[in-house]
Amino acid sequence: MKLNLISTAILFSLIMVGCSSNDTTTDQLTGSGSISIKYDNGYNGNDLIIGAANSANSNGENLTITRLSYIVSNFRLVNSTGEEYVFPKDESYFVISQEADLDNVVLPEIPAGEYTTLKFGVGVDQEKYLQGAEGQGDFLALAESHHMMWSWQAGYKFLNFEGSFTSEIVTDDTEFKIHMGSHGSSLDNYKEVTLALQTNVRVSDEMDSSIHLKIDAAKILVSSNNIQLTEKSVIMVDEVKSPQIAVNVTEMFEVDHIHNGDGHN
Amino acid sequence: MRVNIYQATGLKKLVALVCIVFRSIWTLMPMVFLLYACSNNEEEYILINESLAFEVPSNFPEPHYDFDANPPTKYGFELGKRLFYDGKLSSNGFISCGFCHEQAFAFTHHGHQFSHGIDDLEGTRNTPPIQNMAFLKEFAWDGATSHLDLFPIIPITNEVEMGETMGNVINKLKADSSYQEAFEMAFDDPEVNTENFLKALGQFMAMMVSSNSRYDKYVRNEEGGQLTDLEKQGLDLFGQKCSSCHGTDLFTDSSFRNNGLPPNPQLDDVGREEVSGALSDKYKFKVPSLRNIDKTAPYMHDGRFGNLMSVLDFYESGVVDSSTLDPLLKLEGRLGIPLTSNEKEAIIAFLLTLTDETYLNDQRFAEY
Ligand code: HEC
Ligand code: HEC
Repeated sequence: MKLNLISTAILFSLIMVGCSSNDTTTDQLTGSGSISIKYDNGYNGNDLIIGAANSANSNGENLTITRLSYIVSNFRLVNSTGEEYVFPKDESYFVISQEADLDNVVLPEIPAGEYTTLKFGVGVDQEKYLQGAEGQGDFLALAESHHMMWSWQAGYKFLNFEGSFTSEIVTDDTEFKIHMGSHGSSLDNYKEVTLALQTNVRVSDEMDSSIHLKIDAAKILVSSNNIQLTEKSVIMVDEVKSPQIAVNVTEMFEVDHIHNGDGHN
Repeated sequence: MRVNIYQATGLKKLVALVCIVFRSIWTLMPMVFLLYACSNNEEEYILINESLAFEVPSNFPEPHYDFDANPPTKYGFELGKRLFYDGKLSSNGFISCGFCHEQAFAFTHHGHQFSHGIDDLEGTRNTPPIQNMAFLKEFAWDGATSHLDLFPIIPITNEVEMGETMGNVINKLKADSSYQEAFEMAFDDPEVNTENFLKALGQFMAMMVSSNSRYDKYVRNEEGGQLTDLEKQGLDLFGQKCSSCHGTDLFTDSSFRNNGLPPNPQLDDVGREEVSGALSDKYKFKVPSLRNIDKTAPYMHDGRFGNLMSVLDFYESGVVDSSTLDPLLKLEGRLGIPLTSNEKEAIIAFLLTLTDETYLNDQRFAEY
């Protein structure tokens, strides 16, 4: 009984401390700061290493990955009162590429505050595409230089995932290629990801912060939808599988941790 | 006469040339205003880049191109034209857009069923005309892109057409000081980059309007718009038998359809399916415009027909059935379109009235 009282008291005071410190810091968040988002690519809990063989996935397929690149876009942050901050659309398109070491998205001048949720898109939305030359700006050149343009249809590859694999049935090392994007005007594969942050991310004039995401590239094939390379190993414009892959890709992102304030990375 | 204002070095020379350009080819375009100013003791001319008006012919539907996003200007258009005719856009330096898109043939590749580009490699598709692009929603036979600005990426990076990369093309242009000047004149943000490159080509192509055939003058009740009885009969028949697909005065409804051509097994071009991935799109191709059709032979996506009579013979008796054949070509259990030989003659007579000599000879679009 006594113990209970004491622990309640401790808990209570902790909550008090928690609340008050929260309050004061929120008050202190003024101006703006940058939030960077780290895309840490992995495969089934291990590092993703270009050219190294991975252990079998649940389809019994052993993949050696030679390319993993994707487009992330349209960044938004939701704060603790539910307001959404939309990062300027024109600057909101990035290529993440394992081979080119592009793994960090920096969003400058985020209004000071405490954010609870990160939202972004995978790929390029039709609205942007249909802005023509004006809309693409320099992003088109960046995408081309990282193999993220489909030349024959003047569109973007949202995901470029390549390598080789073996399975019980396919015993010779066989090339696989997964290029996923929208299918002209007839199929929109742009999808959005919403990630709740387990720790609020805070920014202000004094504080730049970062969100560290872990990516499980194994989910591209095995997640809500099961894609067997043994059945089809080159998937580019597939009315059925491409949208399934687009959904799987949205499920490969997970928040690992948050760094609030400088000095971390 | 070819006036290449970009080669002009001194500003004064430029001004003089602009006047020549204005007199000779810009009569339809708004005035170029030259502001004259004195600063220090040097004379300085400031050139204002005048915007170009896009006129919608009264018998046309509304344009689809977003002119607000890329408003055509005199120098933007001029730059686009120069790029269109420049072999620098290809890996060997010789294949320009104009190589395959020749004005005299409504910007098609005359005498070629399949266009050949780099290293004489041949593509598998027939070059369609470039005309009235601002009114279309989809481009290429399969709708590979739905934005005109972005179209040039396809031929430039296609290894059998121009075999280049966008990045390389921009580097080549950056290395050319006359292009730097031209970009500066054309755009407020004067950088030589893909955005401005595509905008310039987009402006040039968006301005290419063919709307002054005898048929146009006839429907607009203009001078020179007389049709013979046979041509009028053809127009009537066309309205009954063809315009459900070749609709509006663009002569296309911009849709993708299978008109029943027997597939060529050697090419096995699946058409729209290539872009959409949908089996239900197999063998569907964009309904082509029929403007200037007399000049754009051979016909169809693979250029299989050499003349219009063969096209009409095909519609009458050559249409093959398949799961994606357009229902309009299977009416009342009959494949194809019933046509007597008199009707064919009348339709052809009508189609020949769609030739627009003004467009085919318009100096604004001419290489030389
Ligand atoms: C080697 C020949 C060749 C060259 C060079 C070439 N084109 Fe084409 N063009 C074609 C062919 C063939 C098509 C049809 C492509 C298809 O349907 O897949 C086409 C289609 C087009 C279309 C679409 C027309 C429509 O009705 O949908 C446009 C616009 C166009 N080209 C512009 C250009 C521009 C701009 C360039 C230069 C950057 C260029 N072309 C260079 C052969 C060529
Ligand atoms: C069901 C829709 C449909 C109808 C009806 C139709 N067409 Fe077509 N037409 C098309 C399509 C689609 C193509 C392109 C097919 C391809 O290349 O694969 C085409 C192509 C053509 C071409 C070739 C144009 C070029 O630039 O290569 C001509 C000429 C033509 N049609 C004339 C006619 C005439 C005349 C009629 C009426 C007797 C007619 N069409 C009726 C859909 C139709």
